[in-house]
Amino acid sequence: MADGVQRRVRVGIGRLTDSVVIAAARERGEFAREGIDVAVSRHESWAAIRDQLAYGEIDGAHMLSPMVVASAAGLGPFPGRFTTSFCNNLNGNAITVSNELYCEMREIGGSEGWSRPVSARLVSEVCARRMDRGQRPLTFAVVYPFSMHNYQLRYWLAAGGVHPDRALEIIVVPPSRMVEVMSRGEVDGFCVGDPWNAEAVREGIGHTLITSAEVWSNGPEKVFGVRRDWAEANRETHEALIRAMLRAARWVDHPGNRAEAAEIAALPDYLDMPAERILSSLTGAGRQSGAGERVDMPDFNVFHRYAANFPWRSHAMWIAAQMVRWGQAPMGLDLRAVALEAFDPSPFREAARAEGVASPEIDFKVEGARDTAWVLDEATSPIAMGRDMLIDGVALDPDETADYLDSQSIHAMRAERLRVAV
Amino acid sequence: MSAAASGHAKPGAAAPTLVVLLVDDEPERAKMIEQGLAGCALLKHTPSIGGPELIRMIEDVKPDCIIIDCESPDRDTIENLRTVARHNPKPIVMFVEDGDSEKAREAVRAGVSAYIVDGLSTSRIKPVIDVAIERFRMVDALHRELAKSREDLAARKLIEKAKGILMEKRSLSEGAAYEAIRSMAMNQGKQLRDVAQSIISVNSLLEGGGES
Repeated sequence: MADGVQRRVRVGIGRLTDSVVIAAARERGEFAREGIDVAVSRHESWAAIRDQLAYGEIDGAHMLSPMVVASAAGLGPFPGRFTTSFCNNLNGNAITVSNELYCEMREIGGSEGWSRPVSARLVSEVCARRMDRGQRPLTFAVVYPFSMHNYQLRYWLAAGGVHPDRALEIIVVPPSRMVEVMSRGEVDGFCVGDPWNAEAVREGIGHTLITSAEVWSNGPEKVFGVRRDWAEANRETHEALIRAMLRAARWVDHPGNRAEAAEIAALPDYLDMPAERILSSLTGAGRQSGAGERVDMPDFNVFHRYAANFPWRSHAMWIAAQMVRWGQAPMGLDLRAVALEAFDPSPFREAARAEGVASPEIDFKVEGARDTAWVLDEATSPIAMGRDMLIDGVALDPDETADYLDSQSIHAMRAERLRVAV
Repeated sequence: MSAAASGHAKPGAAAPTLVVLLVDDEPERAKMIEQGLAGCALLKHTPSIGGPELIRMIEDVKPDCIIIDCESPDRDTIENLRTVARHNPKPIVMFVEDGDSEKAREAVRAGVSAYIVDGLSTSRIKPVIDVAIERFRMVDALHRELAKSREDLAARKLIEKAKGILMEKRSLSEGAAYEAIRSMAMNQGKQLRDVAQSIISVNSLLEGGGES
């Protein structure tokens, strides 16, 4: 081991199934193999994780990918503070509605419109009916304003003709509170990471309609977020952590290891709940689908295959485009500049080379253009990739971002749209 | 210049009482806050409740200030209220375990109005909250002014660009181009910047450019 590696590293995590990569790297001795002792702290609030990272109370974080992009876009309290070089997982979220809303949708739609992926068109009809009857509008919850959950829910609603800011209300509820809040009848639906969808189904209070993999196949979810100044000063430590997490992610991703991975995630430091309640979000076996039947979804959570750990700058760009689409950032936002600043693939490539893992040689690709499995040739060796379609079939070409935003008919873009172009 | 003070006064109330919402699960700390505020503020205390119930409580109680633990899950809900700005933003005061001054300075820069360090004497609580509210009002007024001047600047740039288009396409002088925009705005009951934006949008559409 080279000198200059930080021997003790503090990492913050959320109480979610996808913290399993960090859990496995720690419990299986991958961090120790790099000579690093990792202390883990679990947090109930994403704002708390962000603040702890910003203030240097922790060195790395299991972080919402849009949180890093938001900082690169100058949004939130820590502009430019964060970066990432490791994508923790793809997919992993789902949209679950209360039994009451599910029944209402069934009542209106009968058996129509329930083929997978389930469309939000029926939500639109429920919204209209509620308005006719003078009932309160629907309330949906997401985990944070800058989260894939927020963008996936909005994407799904808009693709079904529902304007997420006008037809209903979206509020923020922390993941571990979702089930409780729904059981009190306080929200009609939510988009959250597992195990909280499976928990709502298990407790018999909600029905999962659609998974994030059906809204955007193999879109990014959590990343390993770090401070930019820390990453620059501790390049060796950063790469060592990525090597350890790469090995852990490869192990977790193997279908034969998922049951054991559930046992690890279940430990008190991580999810602190029985492994059988985490298992379905790792194996994807027997997941509830909107269509009514139980379905096996082996890609419900992707941890390594399909170049999952590579920090695609085009992923960051797609996220930044959603920030513009929903008015979190102004129209003039330079999506490419944000993507370049948010995700730094170079430490990943170094770590992957050391581990003999193939890594992409390009930073951007068209997102949402492949309807089947495909092979990425622009890589150190060809990589088998998964489909990457979006539910409305609209792709984001990194070279045509203005067209992408112009083509959105449902949006909340901010009026300053021409400001920066002048 | 700043209208923060007058905007805050509640109609009909001679001496408006300071309303403080405390979101905390620790009874000991709550008692400390209660003692510190006794007689000078109305304290509403709730344990951590999450999501919609908390939002309703903020709407009902209309607190002048919210005190919350920095690790509370309810923080995300409150942050979202601040980002959508649909609800009036409130100053936030947070509990921290130790009084690391660098950390507190950072937090204040990041939008937290003040910190209450565990073990603070009760007599200091009211002053901390007063300072938090005062600082919040100042920053809030600054933000509003900054947003307004940004918008004015953006509008001026739009009008300049629209003038340029008219000058080129219709061979007008700068003064005549401006008058054309102004007269259209007056006839249509629109803002200058909206007319300017329409001219720019139509122009880019006609030129087939996607450079908007």
